[in-house]
Amino acid sequence: MTENILLKMMNIGKSFASVNVLSNVNFELKSGEVHILAGENGAGKSTLIKILCGVYNEYKGEIFVQNKLCKFNSVHDAARTGITVIHQELSLINELSVVDNLFLGREISGKTGWLKRSVQESEAKKLLARLGLEIDVNKYVEEFPMSVKQMIEIAKALAIDAKIIIFDEPTSALNEPDVVKLFEIIQNLKKQGCGIVYITHKMKEIYNIGDRITVLRDGNYIGTDSKDNLLRNKLVNWMVGREMTQQFPERIPKLGKTKFQVDNCSIDDPAGGPFKVVKDISFKVREGEILGIAGLQGSGNSELFNGLFGTYGKNISAKMIIDDIEYKIGTPAQSINRGLTLLTNDRKLTGLVLNMSIADNVTLPSLKSFSKNGFIKRNEELNAAKICSERLRIKSHSVLQETQTLSGGNQQKVALGKWWETNPKILLLDEPTKGVDVGAKHEIYELMNEWTNEGMAILLITSEMPELLAMSDRIIVMHLGQVTAEFTREEATQEKILNAAMGG
Amino acid sequence: MKTKLFLLIAASLIILACGKKESKITTAQKVKPTVKQKIIGMSQCNLGEPWRVQMNEDIKLAAAKHPELKVIYKDAQNDSLKQVAQIEEFISAGVDAIIVSPKEAAPLTPVIKTAFEKGIPVVVLDRRVNGDKYTCFIGADNKKIGKAAGEWIVKKLGGNGNIVELKGLMTSTPGQDRHSGFRAGIKGSNLKIIFEADMKWLEPQARKEMESALARFKNIDLVYAHNDPGAHGAYLAAKAAGREKEMIFVGIDGLPQEGRMYVKQGILAASFEYPTGGKEAVDTVVDIFGGKKPEKEITLKSHVFTKDNVDKGGKWL
Amino acid sequence: MKFLKKPEARALIALAFVLIIGFTFNADGAFFKWTTHRDMLRYISVFAILGCGMTLVIITAGIDLSVGSLVGLTAVLFSLFSIQYGWSPWLVIPIVLLAGTACGLISGTLISKWEMQPFIATLAMMVFARGAAKWISGGQKVSTAVLQNDGSYKYVNVPEIYNFISAKVLHNNIAIVTIIFIICAGVAYILLSKLRWGRYMFAIGGNEEAARLSGVPVVMTKLIAYGLCGLFAAVAGICQAAQEQQGDPEAGMSYELTAIAIVVIGGTSLAGGRGGIGLTIIGALTIGYLEKILSINAVGEAYRLMLTGVIIAAAVLFQKTRKK
Repeated sequence: MTENILLKMMNIGKSFASVNVLSNVNFELKSGEVHILAGENGAGKSTLIKILCGVYNEYKGEIFVQNKLCKFNSVHDAARTGITVIHQELSLINELSVVDNLFLGREISGKTGWLKRSVQESEAKKLLARLGLEIDVNKYVEEFPMSVKQMIEIAKALAIDAKIIIFDEPTSALNEPDVVKLFEIIQNLKKQGCGIVYITHKMKEIYNIGDRITVLRDGNYIGTDSKDNLLRNKLVNWMVGREMTQQFPERIPKLGKTKFQVDNCSIDDPAGGPFKVVKDISFKVREGEILGIAGLQGSGNSELFNGLFGTYGKNISAKMIIDDIEYKIGTPAQSINRGLTLLTNDRKLTGLVLNMSIADNVTLPSLKSFSKNGFIKRNEELNAAKICSERLRIKSHSVLQETQTLSGGNQQKVALGKWWETNPKILLLDEPTKGVDVGAKHEIYELMNEWTNEGMAILLITSEMPELLAMSDRIIVMHLGQVTAEFTREEATQEKILNAAMGG
Repeated sequence: MKTKLFLLIAASLIILACGKKESKITTAQKVKPTVKQKIIGMSQCNLGEPWRVQMNEDIKLAAAKHPELKVIYKDAQNDSLKQVAQIEEFISAGVDAIIVSPKEAAPLTPVIKTAFEKGIPVVVLDRRVNGDKYTCFIGADNKKIGKAAGEWIVKKLGGNGNIVELKGLMTSTPGQDRHSGFRAGIKGSNLKIIFEADMKWLEPQARKEMESALARFKNIDLVYAHNDPGAHGAYLAAKAAGREKEMIFVGIDGLPQEGRMYVKQGILAASFEYPTGGKEAVDTVVDIFGGKKPEKEITLKSHVFTKDNVDKGGKWL
Repeated sequence: MKFLKKPEARALIALAFVLIIGFTFNADGAFFKWTTHRDMLRYISVFAILGCGMTLVIITAGIDLSVGSLVGLTAVLFSLFSIQYGWSPWLVIPIVLLAGTACGLISGTLISKWEMQPFIATLAMMVFARGAAKWISGGQKVSTAVLQNDGSYKYVNVPEIYNFISAKVLHNNIAIVTIIFIICAGVAYILLSKLRWGRYMFAIGGNEEAARLSGVPVVMTKLIAYGLCGLFAAVAGICQAAQEQQGDPEAGMSYELTAIAIVVIGGTSLAGGRGGIGLTIIGALTIGYLEKILSINAVGEAYRLMLTGVIIAAAVLFQKTRKK
């Protein structure tokens, strides 16, 4: 049996700046199997894949491909050994033809560099025929629908004789019939002796296509078992079965009347894709309430926040009521005026102006209230910034310090501070504790409690399950842009949420 | 998006309409020339320079005296190939004569040859083409003008004095010729060039360089600039320093709205004409139409404009 | 060495370096005369006025290539209206300033509303405005020689406003154009450090998306930046015309590059979000002194270009090292 073990990864570990993101992970792939890699957001799946396909080349542990010890220095290196990844965002070049894409970087040419186009074309047709695809190979890739593009991507993998093919959430952009077709192709690849690593957040797919399942959680290896042994409950348990060791401040909500109501919210794909990222979602949040919006990657929860806030402009249909008055979605500036604010999930890219001072960042959305006839009242502004900085316990030597010199936790507090300064009615928090140290996390939780006690309504997205459970008064779960479950604080468990988030 | 598209289309239509006007006139003229009318095609290499605008102006004035002449003006916008295409158009439209002020010799030689061999008289103005397949070349000589300026200055200063020379672009032939001609003209005198700088034909540059010369030298008797705007810039610098009375200014080109005006206002002591040849070109064409054979090469004579003679149209050198 | 961390300090060191060159090669003491410095200030003022507008635009992470052409266009308009039409300066100056501002606003609209790249949009404006200047002037300098119908010229006197702008005050010790530059710098300074819109410019240059999501009126702010850049270009155009005593359609050719150099040498980052008018003033002095020193020493054109290139690169490199 040993000869059909394609890949063996042993005791793989990886750390970024002394934070362990992966430790002692084992993974094995046989030829002719589909091996599911499962875990929550941030469990370490993509890190493991990036090590496997040569993106990260500094790691602990050993990788054997067909019993040979390998160390990949680049993606190219890994590809030569027969490892290829089919990404969620495809790596095809839209402006080139199918043939050119298939042979990109390894064109068939004569000694002078003259392309042998006819040879390439017939080769391309052969490759696509193996996938049961008959298309004009001279057409540009952009003319084809997503499903065909994915096939071309797979054909590209076949073209380099890939033995190990990694699918990273391949069905997120596919229709049901195309998914069936993809699965047929995967079955076909199995028969040809390929080994498939398959990453998905969809429960249905795991049991439909998988042979074995390996579960990661918080960067640790939890276990591997065949799908027949690893039943659904046990799988969910493996994925979330952590002990609640983290301490959260006690939360005693004081709920008031309905503060924020959203009816029939639908959002088109902001990246221009054909599917809606949010479909017909309705919910209500009360004064003083924290509503958790759970969901794995691709669930659309972050897009929901951005859509409501106005990040995408008018690309959204929804009826919103803030404090009993209807609000039509407009620009972020209009939302801020109405007391609807959004802490984005990437403070460096979309949250802060890093080269400005703490004070300048904190007062940026509310600068109008600190100015008269356009002139900024600098003293008042600095005073407000100082008060905010003290209130949020931002650690700095002065409010004039540049935000980029602060630690992640303090930066996040600056981002929170700028919204606090606008005195918002509703605060949308998208991953408020991402990249924040434990002490600062605790302080952010306390701020959330304080602010809701003062009557603010908070919507919370977080990929940390314990945080979601401890801080939310109510949780709705999204899967593929739709709500699949709603739990009260008492009902909610990690297992139930994960099950619903995987569409189960 | 729609407004954008609309504006774009509107803008291009306007531009097209502006551009069309010119060609419409030409076709109209092509279609029905009156029996007696003679058509001259005039291809100017670049209308960005005032001197060339003046050349067209001179042609226009000279042609106005001959009612039977109709001149079609084309501007090649400093593009040799465009100019070739324009002359090709003249040939196929069957004009009676061509006046051309070429941008460069090499690219324009073949097309001028074609026109010449088809029997169309071609008058080449200001810049030469290679070979001899043209009817007549009319041009002025920068070296001669520079030399004349030098000699005039020697006489004016009595052979003694400190001179500032503000040069045009020294990578251009006119700049080089006006420099070397001038140096030849002052040879043997006791004139001293105490300061020379490249002002790139530009007035603000000339003013800046002159300021430096003024800061450095207490005694400056004369400023010789390679063009009139340069001399004017130097004058402004001296005036700003309150020293414009201590020295005199000499420029080249003698355009009516530049050099001649400065002379009239007493800013320049003299301006040496660099004639455009526009009038002479029209005269030559008229001679050809009248059956005379013109000389192969006409070197234009220049005027010097000074305060006493500028109103009388200058004095021949 | 904490002192060196301030961008102003770095810019001043570059300026000091240039001054040392001036003291060393003082052209028989010409460099020690106040008139030399006064004339340098006069000469650099037009560029520095453009630099003020450019600073605003560059702080928003943009660029404006059209300012040189706008100098030409506004110089022609100013001369046409005031010399040839003989209109009162009280009428002409507002019209010309408005024209410059309008051109800036058009670039600003292309950039902010229609999301064109600043480089492309202002390149288009640069070409267009130069064309407009040539079209309006008929390719000729608009001077006191007025073309009559019969092809002859009538000579008129230059309006009083020209002499006023090109004059010097304080016992002939400072040029009016330099004072105009100081006023422009003051306006830009107040905008950048005292007004809300200035703060928004820094925010947009630092992180446009974060600024937008913080409710910053991005479109309006950019319009203000480009509009003011156009306005300052018109001011520079009027100064240029007054000093030349005519409106040259070719005026301001490639001035935009000098304006950008002034801003960058001062230490304002082309990436946006950092900088200030103080830096631009220092940058203007650096470039001005450099040109002056090369000029009074009558250094040949070829050497000048090479030296200027080297010094620009060196000064910017020097600015860059502060981040480490």
